[in-house]
Amino acid sequence: MATKKKYGFVIDVRRCIGCNACTVACKEQWKVPVGHSRNWVLDMGIQGSFPDLTQTFITGQCMHCDDPPCVAACPSEATYKREDGLVVIDEDTCIGCGYCIPACLYDARFYNEEKGVADKCNGCFDRVEEGELPACVATCVGGARMFGDLNDPDSQVSRMIRENQTVRLVTDETNPGPNVYYIGLPEELYSEVAPHPSELPAAGKVWKKGVIPVVGLAVGATVIGQAIAFGAQLLKGESIDE
Amino acid sequence: MSSAPRVLSLEERKRLKNVRIKKHNLANILLHWFNVASWFVLLPTGLAILISPHFRVVSLHFNNILRSMFGGLFNLLYFHQTWGLIWIFVILFNVILGFRKYFVPFSSRNMMMDRDDIEWFKMKPLQVLGFKAELPPQGAYNAGQKAYSYVVFLGIITIMITGLIMTFPEYMPARWIVQWALPLHFLAVGGVVAGLVVHVYMGAIFPEEKSAFFSMFTGNVDGLYAYSHHYKFFKQKVAEIEEWEKEEKRKIAEEMLLQREREEREKRQEANKEIES
Repeated sequence: MATKKKYGFVIDVRRCIGCNACTVACKEQWKVPVGHSRNWVLDMGIQGSFPDLTQTFITGQCMHCDDPPCVAACPSEATYKREDGLVVIDEDTCIGCGYCIPACLYDARFYNEEKGVADKCNGCFDRVEEGELPACVATCVGGARMFGDLNDPDSQVSRMIRENQTVRLVTDETNPGPNVYYIGLPEELYSEVAPHPSELPAAGKVWKKGVIPVVGLAVGATVIGQAIAFGAQLLKGESIDE
Repeated sequence: MSSAPRVLSLEERKRLKNVRIKKHNLANILLHWFNVASWFVLLPTGLAILISPHFRVVSLHFNNILRSMFGGLFNLLYFHQTWGLIWIFVILFNVILGFRKYFVPFSSRNMMMDRDDIEWFKMKPLQVLGFKAELPPQGAYNAGQKAYSYVVFLGIITIMITGLIMTFPEYMPARWIVQWALPLHFLAVGGVVAGLVVHVYMGAIFPEEKSAFFSMFTGNVDGLYAYSHHYKFFKQKVAEIEEWEKEEKRKIAEEMLLQREREEREKRQEANKEIES
């Protein structure tokens, strides 16, 4: 039985050595402009006290959420969620308004000045369609990055989620259903990578809270006014010289 | 304030009903109907583009039906933008080419408010509310139409500029320009549409304005309509027609005079020839 695919990532924080091979592979794969990156490796510094020290790197990218706030913020759905769960941007229809950028809880989106569109991880959907792994996963030296179908119980990601304790970057207030599962994320570091609330840019807020109600009232008022006038006209009827 | 029209006798009314008074030029009629077609096409496609739950103002079904009709967002967007560019071109083409013949006379004569118009704004709401209020005589366009013309004028400029910004975002120096173009485009369209509801009702449905509706095809209104709804326009047109008739008569008389002179000259020449031979 073929169930619907739902692609997701598992990141084993314990295995990440901070080599940044994933960010380089991604930049190479998608020709990401200098100064931007679709994925990242955060150096969380050294934890513990001598001699019991650890250094943690947390890597991340677009979480390909179940209910992505960026897709909701896009006026036209130029960015959308694919059937297989990957959230992608259609560069032909995106006009680069950037409403989606502050909408992302994880700052996974940026403005691509070269193309004039919003940009972010697209899960290497073209590689995935050909049966390959995303560039960042394929290149990961320590095996910290894993990718697969979360709906398939036999996939590596499903197995890892089943066999390990995982966390997703959500809070009680904001939970868009991210599809990146972290293994071994130190609890004390969680607050540093926790999501921030989704926001619209100022223009979007004015549009939603101001412009739409005002236009709605104005158009509603004239429609009702003219409907009443039309009713009165029907009741009155027409005279012979009209 | 100009004087109100006097009450007409039945004979006068019947006679005026059959008088044709030219109100619209062919250029304006064509532009008007092109504009109607454009609003019919651009408004639904524009609304269908807005699918975000934050900004959607129609039902999701409407969005999906139009997207399916056009074969997806790209074609829908492409159609909306292309027709928008054609719309901008046609309007600017008309305004620029007809600047001296149509645009300046039209806007200077029909858009300026006078004291009668201020009076109209006081009386019209009372009339609408059912009080017996007499409206002052109006020009070719009444005060409400004049006020709306400012909304349309500013609205169209805003729609054009913001539309161009969103069609060619790659040439914008800053992203906030594109961000603000979206709500401004929506606001300008909303403002025009709010008035458009009244415009369409008055123009196409309201029986007293029937003559105005057909004038958008023929260019002419009947004399009785002009007399009772646009008295100042009526007086001005009557004066213009008299002036035109005087001028035409003068031209015809001049031509007849010239012709007579020519004929006399020819006769004289023939007579001379006969003498010579």
